[in-house]
Amino acid sequence: MALEDYLPDMERCSQCSYCKWIPFDQVKSWRFADGCPSIAYNNFLSYSARGRFAVALSLLNKQSTYTDRVVDIIYKCTTCGSCDVSDKICRYNLEPLEMIQELKIRAVEDGQVLPAHTAVIEHLKKENNMMMTPAVERGDWAKGLDVKIIPVEKAEVLFHAGCNYSYDKDLQATARTALTILKNAGVDVGIMGNEELCCGGRAYDTGYKEEFTRLAEKNIKAWKAAGVKTIVTPCADGYHTIMRLYPRLGVNFEVYHTVQYFDRLIKEGKIKLSKSVPMRVTYHDPCHLGRRGEPYIPWEGKEKKVKGQVIVYEPRKPRYNGAWGVYEPPRDILKSIPGIELVEMERIKEYAWCCGAGGGTREAYPDFSNWTATERIEEAKATGAEALVTACPWCERNFIDAVNSTGADIKVMDITDLIKQAI
Amino acid sequence: MVLKREIYKEFENIVGANNISDDEALLDSYRYPLMHTAIHLGPYYRVYTPRGEAVLLPGSAEEVQAIVKLCNKHKVRVKASSTFWSAWGYPMEDNTIQLDMRRMNRILEIDEKNMFAVVEPHVIGATLQAEAMKHGLNTHIHGPGASCSCLASATALNGLGPDTAYLGHHSENMIGAEWVMPDGEMVRVGSVGSGLGWFYSEGPGPSLKGLIRGMVGSMGSMGVFTKCAIKLHPWPGPAPFPTDGRPPAYKAVLPDNLKSYTLGFPDWEAWADSCYLIWEAGIGYVAHRQFNMFGRDLKGAMVRILSDPTKTLGDIVELLKDPEVQKMTEDMKRDYQIVLAGMTPRDIEWQEKVLDRILEKTGGWKVEGMLEPNLHDWSLLYMLRLGHKNLNLVYGGGYDGCFGIGGTPDFATTGEYPRVEQATDFKKEWEKKGNIVAAGGDGMMGGIGGMGGGGMTLWENFTHFDPHDKASTEGTYEFFNATSEYGKQKGWGPGMEKMNDYARWTDGRTTPKEIRNKILSAGGQPEALRYQRKFYETFNPNDLGDSYYRTLD
Repeated sequence: MALEDYLPDMERCSQCSYCKWIPFDQVKSWRFADGCPSIAYNNFLSYSARGRFAVALSLLNKQSTYTDRVVDIIYKCTTCGSCDVSDKICRYNLEPLEMIQELKIRAVEDGQVLPAHTAVIEHLKKENNMMMTPAVERGDWAKGLDVKIIPVEKAEVLFHAGCNYSYDKDLQATARTALTILKNAGVDVGIMGNEELCCGGRAYDTGYKEEFTRLAEKNIKAWKAAGVKTIVTPCADGYHTIMRLYPRLGVNFEVYHTVQYFDRLIKEGKIKLSKSVPMRVTYHDPCHLGRRGEPYIPWEGKEKKVKGQVIVYEPRKPRYNGAWGVYEPPRDILKSIPGIELVEMERIKEYAWCCGAGGGTREAYPDFSNWTATERIEEAKATGAEALVTACPWCERNFIDAVNSTGADIKVMDITDLIKQAI
Repeated sequence: MVLKREIYKEFENIVGANNISDDEALLDSYRYPLMHTAIHLGPYYRVYTPRGEAVLLPGSAEEVQAIVKLCNKHKVRVKASSTFWSAWGYPMEDNTIQLDMRRMNRILEIDEKNMFAVVEPHVIGATLQAEAMKHGLNTHIHGPGASCSCLASATALNGLGPDTAYLGHHSENMIGAEWVMPDGEMVRVGSVGSGLGWFYSEGPGPSLKGLIRGMVGSMGSMGVFTKCAIKLHPWPGPAPFPTDGRPPAYKAVLPDNLKSYTLGFPDWEAWADSCYLIWEAGIGYVAHRQFNMFGRDLKGAMVRILSDPTKTLGDIVELLKDPEVQKMTEDMKRDYQIVLAGMTPRDIEWQEKVLDRILEKTGGWKVEGMLEPNLHDWSLLYMLRLGHKNLNLVYGGGYDGCFGIGGTPDFATTGEYPRVEQATDFKKEWEKKGNIVAAGGDGMMGGIGGMGGGGMTLWENFTHFDPHDKASTEGTYEFFNATSEYGKQKGWGPGMEKMNDYARWTDGRTTPKEIRNKILSAGGQPEALRYQRKFYETFNPNDLGDSYYRTLD
């Protein structure tokens, strides 16, 4: 799809402003009613989905041109998809998230880029990771673990650690733990070590479609050559990319996030959680696992009208509105750990507040990104939880940084680490 | 036009560099697409409201005051809006700055004992309701729904809605306001103006409630309201709503003292009688002909789609063939939704009995299909929160209400050929042309009770179209013209489809004076509008507002 393909959406957007808020049926307080971090932080209408529809239309109609402000509007979006959920409460056929992604892609094609992104993407091109570190160090996180290296050895399941878990020294232990849990549960699992590449998902969400495609094609080729059929990843971004974006390139791997796999193994009795972990925790739904983590349904078709002007699609078009994201497996895991008390935040599941790390905002707009994370920390603290638990290294990293910068009294943990404590 | 740099700088000094912009693309996100009809004019294909000179985000009443004073100094028009739901909130002419009030978004006080809240402009129905419910109170949510500013509907419009019979409309509920007048002076309206707190809008203190609203409201053309106090009402349910379900089919399983029914009637006379009887009995927390906005023929199918997360609009044709849906649709032909809220177990028991007696007396019924628990819980949440109001746009993206039948319940429903059926038949013929959704002619939606206590109904016949489609948009405009003509022939007067023609014209700008005068002279109470002209001239000496405030020379 090109930006022009969203012209109907731009003209059909009635500017109702639902995109700014969580679904109104879910509003529980004044304090935690915002849905879109971008408009909540920047305030001008242009920073909401409705505003971005209008800005895109203005650019397409040549009523305005790129300015620093326009570039700011385009990129200062975490692509969390909150607008997409709220819009589809009343406007079934609008696709604000897809439009915003295309707007970023168009800006990149037009050379309207941010230096902070350019630096990361240039590095990505050379070293195949988002972490500004050498490719040859990618497999170091697994040093000392007795694990199969694909494709030298064959394994039923490929464990894809992702960029953040591979390189972030604070988080690597979680990846090691996840892999160890899988092995101990009897899963025939392997990794690609230094041969693992970035999935490309974050490049896509920042507007670098070409770079995404390059990485996706390389991964697909390598996985096919190695006979990989099943992939397990502890990274929500990676999960979303492999499940929702790779099929657009004509391939389908069976992909699971670790929370799904662990949940299954727990329910099958292959992971036994017997130790008590007395802790009051709250769970943050990562956008890419939650509302953006719905199963991919292939569709190719066209718009048609029935009853005069009712817009439908031929064939029936899937609607992604967060209804079928991965929400229960992490909660079931937490509930199965003895001693854990799960308390929910006000904004959860499909209407969860974003961590602030996505869409290239962590790289280009650290203040905005940090503010977004801090808002979530405040919400977590309001539950009285001792720990904010999540299932994505990007969320975890952003929350840790926010806690460090604000001195908030709350732990940030990956769900894997709680499982480890309970085994 | 662009503001002179030195003037821009003066505005910037008030709000800070982060809260002002004159970037062209940014300004274009503050233009309303008039192919959406903008409630209630047009639709005009690919016409937009004019681009403002700058957008400012004031953070306090003091900043607003300084801005308005500066506007007077430099003769720059000012238009404030909070939630920007319709074209009312956008500039009419060049040389206008747009105030976006979203930074002023606090609930300043909820006085549980005296049952009111003091709010800033960007507080919306959903957030005020959520907070009020924690105190066992509730707020009226006006027709456009939970997304819209409470202050805007209380100070600048009448703010009617589905719960008006019980919770009043917002102009009734407003018990005081802080107003930056068009010349930049600030006045506090009502008892708060005498330093006595927020308890009564008519004093002791300056009683300007009538002046600031005029006949229907100033719609942002007479200064800027920076605070107001809103009366709250009892809420006999939990806080927060125990919302459940997958989007968009959220529902709430509420205690037994809260019930939602769809009532059906054998004929319009029975329908009208039931309205009088529920008002007389004083039952009903919310009463509205809500789901009929999807159209008489489609609403059964739409209710099924909306309450099931696996369904989409693509299921509508199949659902229309379903005998159960057909039966429900037929049962709902002459209907409205009602929510009963019992303050005590005895109260709900009594209300249920009264409702049953009313149905017995009128020959009406509770629509069986809507009693199914999933639909009941979905409908109950829908009606109480009004969080899905913009579903009126779901079909093609555009809608507007036409005809507009206001009056006592039998005003439109009695006689051999009731007005509601005449309007239905007329629209049905136009639906055959294909430019508007073929929904069965009757899309009459509106409140069963247009003022506190009941007393009147107010409907508009919802018409749905595709604003991206030139033929559909222009065909809808033709239909609205024909509707107005039909209304004129019938002696019904102009319908809601032309309600704002007096203010904004086909190019998105101010309606030419001679046309405006003609329209307003033909409407009701021209003398009142001449009187309003004097108000306008006195309070807005530099003419920095716009023509939404109804005045006649």
